[in-house]
Amino acid sequence: MNTSFAPQNSSNPIQIAKALKYIAFAVVTGSLGLSYVYLKNQQFALADEIRLTEKRIKQVRAENEVLLAKTTELSSRRALQQRMTSGSLQVVHISGDKIARLTPASPAIQDGILRTVSNERTSR
Amino acid sequence: MNKPECMRIALACGVVALIFTIFSARLVDLHISKHAEYSKLAAQKHTLRQIIHAKRGMILDRNGEILASNLPVRKVVADASQIKDPAIVAALASQFLGLKEADVLKKISSQKKYIVLKKEVPEDIYVALETAMQKAKVRGVTFEQDAIRIYPNGETLGHVLGFLNDEGKGVQGIELTMNSLLAGNDGHRFIERDRTGKEIMLYRGTEQEPVHGKNIRLSIDMTLQSILEEEIDKTFEEFKPETVTGIMLDPKTGEVLAMVNRPCFNPNEPGKAEPEQMKNRAIIDMVEPGSTFKIVVAAGALNEGTVNEKSSIFCENGRFSYAGKILKDHHGYGDMNVHEILVKSSNIGSAKLALLMGGDKYYEYVRRFGFGERHGIELPGEIAGLVHPPARWDKLTITRMPMGHSVAVTPLQITMGMSVIANGGRLMAPHVIKSVEDIDGTKILKKTPKVVRNVIPEKTARFITNALVGVTQIGGTATYARVSGFEVAGKTGTAQKVSSKGGYAAGKYVVSFVGFMPAEDPRFVCLIMVDDAKTASNLNYGGLVAAPVFSRVAEKAARHLDLTPTLPPIPLQDTPMAKVETLNEATH
Repeated sequence: MNTSFAPQNSSNPIQIAKALKYIAFAVVTGSLGLSYVYLKNQQFALADEIRLTEKRIKQVRAENEVLLAKTTELSSRRALQQRMTSGSLQVVHISGDKIARLTPASPAIQDGILRTVSNERTSR
Repeated sequence: MNKPECMRIALACGVVALIFTIFSARLVDLHISKHAEYSKLAAQKHTLRQIIHAKRGMILDRNGEILASNLPVRKVVADASQIKDPAIVAALASQFLGLKEADVLKKISSQKKYIVLKKEVPEDIYVALETAMQKAKVRGVTFEQDAIRIYPNGETLGHVLGFLNDEGKGVQGIELTMNSLLAGNDGHRFIERDRTGKEIMLYRGTEQEPVHGKNIRLSIDMTLQSILEEEIDKTFEEFKPETVTGIMLDPKTGEVLAMVNRPCFNPNEPGKAEPEQMKNRAIIDMVEPGSTFKIVVAAGALNEGTVNEKSSIFCENGRFSYAGKILKDHHGYGDMNVHEILVKSSNIGSAKLALLMGGDKYYEYVRRFGFGERHGIELPGEIAGLVHPPARWDKLTITRMPMGHSVAVTPLQITMGMSVIANGGRLMAPHVIKSVEDIDGTKILKKTPKVVRNVIPEKTARFITNALVGVTQIGGTATYARVSGFEVAGKTGTAQKVSSKGGYAAGKYVVSFVGFMPAEDPRFVCLIMVDDAKTASNLNYGGLVAAPVFSRVAEKAARHLDLTPTLPPIPLQDTPMAKVETLNEATH
């Protein structure tokens, strides 16, 4: 009976190909995951930019409307009349002979001289 | 393995499989069968329906002048559950919004999620406050977009424009009648917010764009409106009457060019006005029209062939006894034709014309001229007036109604009645709206002139016009209505004021003048009506109080409309009041 204890020569060889396959799978999966996270972050960042831009546009529009309202008020008849009465707006009188009439003139009955209406009365 | 062991293992596997099957079934049920239901629930929990406010349309005059517009403002809202440091919020609110710190703290301490701190905050203050809050890292305060309505011309045209209530709905005038078109429809979007209250844009849900309100273009010409307002103001100041009303319209189209009432109110501050100031008396007040009503009986009698242009009516030398009462004229007249009856404004002549026509026929003409019915103008509260049918008349009515008594009409009806004459006998539908436009100016609705009915033939209208020209010439009752260079047609009216206690108020008169110019091709009809002018009773007549106002208005309107004068100029004429003043100065 052979009683010698010969060392058993058992080994677990690394299966490079298989390992590479797993590693590749892990890398791809990891990359996909990270890309997803990166893209999602980018999306949030862009969305936030859009939100801020939207807010700015709204603000500019509102400012524009405020200016329009102010212009309307300042150029309103009431405001202009107030400026005229306070003397801060000078109106130059244009004499009748400087007015070019575009509508065809119809002759006056008596002397043929065309007159504009000019008998404004003073009222109290 | 023996058989019982295998059985146990199979049983355990079966149980596990069954459990997983149940879970899977539940998952399928939750994710597929009840997807819509639970999605909705989740959305309700996380998402918020954000309103996108539609912009209210503007009101413009016929030339595009802005009469009503919007001013963007902000509503400052606090969410107490998100505010960590109420003291900072209170300090900033008091600094920028002018609120008391204690009041803000009290409001925030309620822990409500929606607390309005202040409304109508101007944009510049909002920007400053928001920047300050961002610096102080304050959370829980938001700024909602809002707008207030502004009327840049203040009191001018206030009765026609109307105003809005606190909820932004039209209360009076065009703002009320055209509210649905002006308001538009709000849009909305579903959004999600993070814990700081900021919107997470990525999760923005469905969105519905707002439909902005339409712009309303009125037929009002602001230059003519200003002219009329200025003269009405002077009259209101000079005679201190209870009310003054002025209307100007285009007789050929029925377009209202100007409409003024005094007293008036400022639509920017409706809360400060008394109800009496807010009445648009041009359409909601009833008055006895007085002699301006004589055009109805004259036109009717001529058209029915009851009389012709040359027929002579005996005017009883100024005293006509009928049904036991005496009807008087201002002066005693003998025989007069229809032309003279109108020029001299004879009560007896008018009464006799009505008697010759008969009550039923006369009533028919009153109605055909548009009295006793609403004209349907696009302004709220128009009344029909009061015209009783012949069955309800007493014996005197047929002699009183032709001179404008025993009948109640609105100032608009009087103006439209005169427009019938000015427009060759056609009654047009009066309107104050010219078109409805999109925000970019595209017309989506255009109001076209509408003939309501042919009241009298053109020939009759021309005859009445000639008589009305006579009214404003020497010998007529309204020489002060004349305008240099133009032929003016019109009629005065002086009616005793009806007392609220019944009968007539002694010494109180409603005086008026309604006329058109140029008489041969009218560009406008204008009514001036003064209720209870504080002047001497011998001067309180339509021809002396209202006619000069008409003249001044017509003169300025002629310049604005660039009307070419067709007559030689007339000499300057002092107003009756100026004459009295000169006389007083001379005697003192």
